[in-house]
Amino acid sequence: MATIALPVEEKKKYEQEALITGAEAIAVACKLANVDVVTAYPIRPYDTVMQYISQLKADGEMDCEYIVAEGEHSQFEIVKHASVCGARVFCGSSGVGWMYAMEALTVTPALRVPMVAMVGNRALDDPGAFGVEHNDALAVRDLGWLLNWVDSAQEALDTALIAYRVAEDPRMFVPCAISCDGAFLTHSQALVNIPTQEQVKQFLPPYKRGDLLLHPDNVISVAPQVNEDWVMEVRRQNYEVTERACGVIREVYADFERIFGRKYGNPFFEEYMTEDAEVVLLGMGTLSTPTRVAIRKMREQGKKVGFVRLRWFRPFAGVELAKCLERFKAIGVIDRDFSFGSPNLSGVVATEVRSAMYTGAATRPPVLGFICGLGGREVLVQDVEHMTDITFQAAKGKAQPLTQWIGLRG
Amino acid sequence: MNDFINSVENPVERFLRTDRMPHIWCPGCGIGTTVNCFARALIESKIDLQSLALVSGIGCTGRVAGYVKLDSFHTTHGRAIPFATGLKLANPKLNVVVYSGDGDLSAIGGNHLIHAARRNIDLKVICVNNLIYAMTGGQTAPTTPGHAITSTAPYGSYEPAFNLPHLVEAAGAVYVARWTTFHVRQLARSIAEVFQKKGFGFIEVISPCPTLYQRRNRLGDGLDTMKYYKEKSKVRHGAPTNEVGLTMTGEIIVGKFVDRDRPDYQTLMRTQLSESLGERFVESAEMVCS
Ligand SMILES: Cc1ncc(C[n+]2csc(CCOP(=O)(O)OP(=O)(O)O)c2C)c(N)n1
Ligand code: SF4
Ligand SMILES: [Mg+2]
Repeated sequence: MATIALPVEEKKKYEQEALITGAEAIAVACKLANVDVVTAYPIRPYDTVMQYISQLKADGEMDCEYIVAEGEHSQFEIVKHASVCGARVFCGSSGVGWMYAMEALTVTPALRVPMVAMVGNRALDDPGAFGVEHNDALAVRDLGWLLNWVDSAQEALDTALIAYRVAEDPRMFVPCAISCDGAFLTHSQALVNIPTQEQVKQFLPPYKRGDLLLHPDNVISVAPQVNEDWVMEVRRQNYEVTERACGVIREVYADFERIFGRKYGNPFFEEYMTEDAEVVLLGMGTLSTPTRVAIRKMREQGKKVGFVRLRWFRPFAGVELAKCLERFKAIGVIDRDFSFGSPNLSGVVATEVRSAMYTGAATRPPVLGFICGLGGREVLVQDVEHMTDITFQAAKGKAQPLTQWIGLRG
Repeated sequence: MNDFINSVENPVERFLRTDRMPHIWCPGCGIGTTVNCFARALIESKIDLQSLALVSGIGCTGRVAGYVKLDSFHTTHGRAIPFATGLKLANPKLNVVVYSGDGDLSAIGGNHLIHAARRNIDLKVICVNNLIYAMTGGQTAPTTPGHAITSTAPYGSYEPAFNLPHLVEAAGAVYVARWTTFHVRQLARSIAEVFQKKGFGFIEVISPCPTLYQRRNRLGDGLDTMKYYKEKSKVRHGAPTNEVGLTMTGEIIVGKFVDRDRPDYQTLMRTQLSESLGERFVESAEMVCS
């Protein structure tokens, strides 16, 4: 959880408290970030953001170009090119809408466009469902996008501001997608501290594209055909961005804390009741809420279990995470996604954690994979207790299947 | 009395998957009315249901595919026409109906619409036009009339809207008609008629969305909208389609605007290949559609 470092009186001077949803929080961040061009195409649950932004614009509170495109493909293309011309842009989608934009999504990091997008996580079709699943955003994980998952409206607002700072840093110039779990976060209201425009101005400098700017005074060709002559070198540039990413993100969080007074600690993952834990669960997004509740309950029963919530999936802070996890006797990774045919048939996060542990950890605790909460199904407290019990069994040396589906109907 | 009522089956019921009821549509929504007309057209046209396939995109209208007791396909958003094209190419003897919303057909799927009309592929398109993207919350669509308030245009829309009959006529459709959900008999007759036509047929049905469009624009409920349709509709068969654009509260020109003949895709293909290949062009019997 984010903690408020400033004394209450001091804080009031700066911030206003508002009861808003996760989607609204992202819209407010766009307003504060003074975004220039916004494009939209409706799809649940992302579409609430586009509606809030259109209201802000119509009310004269936000000065931006805003267009409802005729589909996600053009929606993402429009902002991509606005960004090349020096505009700060915002975009977003959910589920199959995000997938329909895939061609634009693949080009965006390669063109070094610092687009910020919100993914209201939603199950992919078929079968049709509106509920949360993480495979939509994860589909771009190998392409150079920065990806993070937030679990509260406050974190959504803050992370959107952070995302602009990171993405538009000239050492980066890559897009960043903020994932918000459909319904559980996009549509749930919470009290949020809204920073002042002055604070945001101090934190977020104007977007300067430098010599990559497409402008009559700066004649360049964007996206020329290069074939085998240069493709590898272009890819290498994106690789080098990811090498720098963790350092830049750390810097930006430190600055965020200095200016806004809100502390996120380690930017990459958050630990909950891990100090004396024997086993931990690990996951992304709003499953943190039932997990924390269950952990508090289990702690009362004397079970030493903690939780690690991964915030940034790309870059994946592998070394740091491995160092954190090596001290536990077993780890249970809760994936709200699937990766059919993957090693051990696990979810995406479990596979990444195992890979990070293999090279980065001094010990080799069992890493169990749990697939849970797909298609918007709730991750229940009892599911968390069940996963914890299995993880304890593994910690005791009793071999467990490496992938288990939890909360499946009989 | 009850026994009597229970003993009389609604004539359209055999076309519906009653086990899927109640449906998702709101009170006063026009989509159900269009389905009723569609079922009546099936009765009237005596079409062989075995040869019929209904394809829809995604949206409130798209849900039709799940409620009809026919071979039906609930495809992806915007892709009903390519899907239907595939069905028709693989089995030209099928009667393929595309049943979808204005957003699905003219926004995200707009390119497919014009290209199917250009090819004159033998599909019958029923477009329920409620002037917005309804399922997702009533956002401005390419069909939203100027000034209309939507969830993305809280102080009124300002983009010019598509005049769909004009668009598809220009692209090459051989049959173009428009009705409202008030014109149930004319609509049913039109649907029956388009089945007789070979080539790309397009029927636009202006339909209320009381929940998201009428309410936001203070246009009343479903019944008020029926009254509006009744008072403000003018039947003008053969009206030049460039004159049938819609406004928010103005006249609605309805009728059959286009009924013309032009070789359909399959005929054109056969003619061209016969001409260039001569006797070497052989078509398997299953592929020949008279
Ligand atoms: C690729 C993709 N983008 C967006 C959506 C979300 N979506 C579902 S229905 C719909 C709009 C439907 O509008 P329309 O076709 O006019 O049908 P109506 O609901 O008005 O009947 C949209 C945008 C989707 N399912 N897939
Ligand atoms: S939202 Fe509108 S179009 Fe959809 S079912 Fe309700 S009334 Fe009909
Ligand atoms: Mg519609």
